[in-house]
Amino acid sequence: MATDTASAASVETSEPSPRRRRGSGRWRVTSGLLATPTIWLVVFFVVPVVLVGVYSVGLLTLLRNDDYLSLEHWRFFLTSDTYLALFWKSVRMSLGVSITSVLLAYPVAYLLALIAGSKKYTLLLVIIVPFLTSYLLRVLAWRVILNPQGVLQSFLRSIDVLGPEQQIDWLFNSTFAIYLVLSYVWVPFVALPIFVSLENLDQHLLEASSDLGASRLRTFWTVTLPLSMPGVVAGFIFVFIPTIGEYVTPQLVGGPGGFMFGSAIQSAFTAGLDWQFGSAMAMFLIFAVAVLLIVFGRFLNVRSVTE
Amino acid sequence: MNVAVSRAGRRWLWLVFWLLTLFLYAPLVILLIFSFNDRELVSFPWEGFTLHWYQTFLDNPEILTALRVSVVVATLTAVVTTILAIPASIALVRRRFFGKGLVSGVMLAPLVIPLVVLGTALLILFNTIGIPFSPLTIAIGHIVIALPFAILTLVPRLERIPAALEEASRDLGAGWSTTFRQITFPLMLPAIFSAFLLSFVISFDEVVIASFVAGDEVTFPVYLYSQLRLPRQLPQVIAVAVVVLTISAIVVTISEVLRRMTDKSLEETTRVHDEEEVSVA
Repeated sequence: MATDTASAASVETSEPSPRRRRGSGRWRVTSGLLATPTIWLVVFFVVPVVLVGVYSVGLLTLLRNDDYLSLEHWRFFLTSDTYLALFWKSVRMSLGVSITSVLLAYPVAYLLALIAGSKKYTLLLVIIVPFLTSYLLRVLAWRVILNPQGVLQSFLRSIDVLGPEQQIDWLFNSTFAIYLVLSYVWVPFVALPIFVSLENLDQHLLEASSDLGASRLRTFWTVTLPLSMPGVVAGFIFVFIPTIGEYVTPQLVGGPGGFMFGSAIQSAFTAGLDWQFGSAMAMFLIFAVAVLLIVFGRFLNVRSVTE
Repeated sequence: MNVAVSRAGRRWLWLVFWLLTLFLYAPLVILLIFSFNDRELVSFPWEGFTLHWYQTFLDNPEILTALRVSVVVATLTAVVTTILAIPASIALVRRRFFGKGLVSGVMLAPLVIPLVVLGTALLILFNTIGIPFSPLTIAIGHIVIALPFAILTLVPRLERIPAALEEASRDLGAGWSTTFRQITFPLMLPAIFSAFLLSFVISFDEVVIASFVAGDEVTFPVYLYSQLRLPRQLPQVIAVAVVVLTISAIVVTISEVLRRMTDKSLEETTRVHDEEEVSVA
């Protein structure tokens, strides 16, 4: 910042000082490095998202039945019980899935970071590899297992636990299936930031706590857990955000009850051809995510996800 | 005494670990086993071992075309993403500039946008400026979402490479490009390799954006998504699934192991470098 003000001030002088010439050369290198990636993201990320906002209020129209300059679609969405209910349904799903994933991942991350010793990276890799294989194929695997004619129920029939015509209804095309499969998908990813935050924890603090007479449980509650909260929050957010717009998995394993807010957006653009209404809903989703990031952003260390 | 856990607690945690591992791998193993079951329905009873379903998918032109499109899109995505991520991460780690917070915010923002929103946004963009949908438009979207992951793979590696090495090269008279080619690039190479593979995997797997901006040529995930509701196709789809899962698991494991190994060797190199620095002083 300081050097920038200095070079900006020296623009006023008629003769460029040697220092300024060097400064502008450095700036040229920096902007050369940044130009292409920044332009790419502005053109294919920032502009499209702005276009969604512009389109949702009819500042720009593309289809014949679009309304020019109209807040009608926003008004309809914000006063409609159906669509707001879908939004809250998606929020509930995201909350449920994020909390389940964190609860499943925490003990494992704890074990690997604090107890497993030299094998920890190998075992972490064992947990992570399924996450990096195809998402859709893992959902497919659960479809094959859970559906009424699938592996699990046909197995139960073959050992006569289920009668030939019987089936377990809550197992497939149900809310249970959605939560199960999405938690399955996200658990490895959540383990990562929690592992990083626990691994970076100064283990002397735990010894100090124990030396001062705290029990293991008390050490966990008052030292370990609070210090690992950044990892927990990062894991939570990075599951919550993709899940809130999710429509693929709910549709594949959730049956008719799997129609989510994301499904409403998707079908407004594909089946319904109601792009303006879809844009209003998509914009609303961005606002929701932004609010979430503002509230939790200060706990968030993005880097913990890849290290 | 271990302060983190009691002996009984340790046993419980290991049990949880192995149960979770079982939970993570069982569905994939089940998929593998039943891809060899000689039965139209993917279920019990076991009717004997067959390679028939693998044969059927190898004879299915639609599957092969979709796989080919996916490979093209993923390769294009990986190449462009890596080329964009290298200068971006160098700027973020090595340079000080005005608005760095904003720039890095924009570069990481695709991490936190729901894909359905980015999909619709790109759909509107391409319609507004009149670009027809094709594998190219899919790759454009995939590069946007892969870029933050690639940058986040490169940044930690760059931070571990001592800037002194580059400064030494510059002091000895090498220009920017020579320094990059001879010093920075070779030291970054393992991370570049990881970033490339990660971008490839992200693109190869992505279905939401691809289904919004795909033209007539669809990628493998989009094809799969459309076929999942047709039970007759299921056994051969599962055979492809097994092949894709196996290949991606192997590739991912190799790249991660390589990354850990080269990180360790870089640490050793820089430790030697630090010690020399101390002894010179």
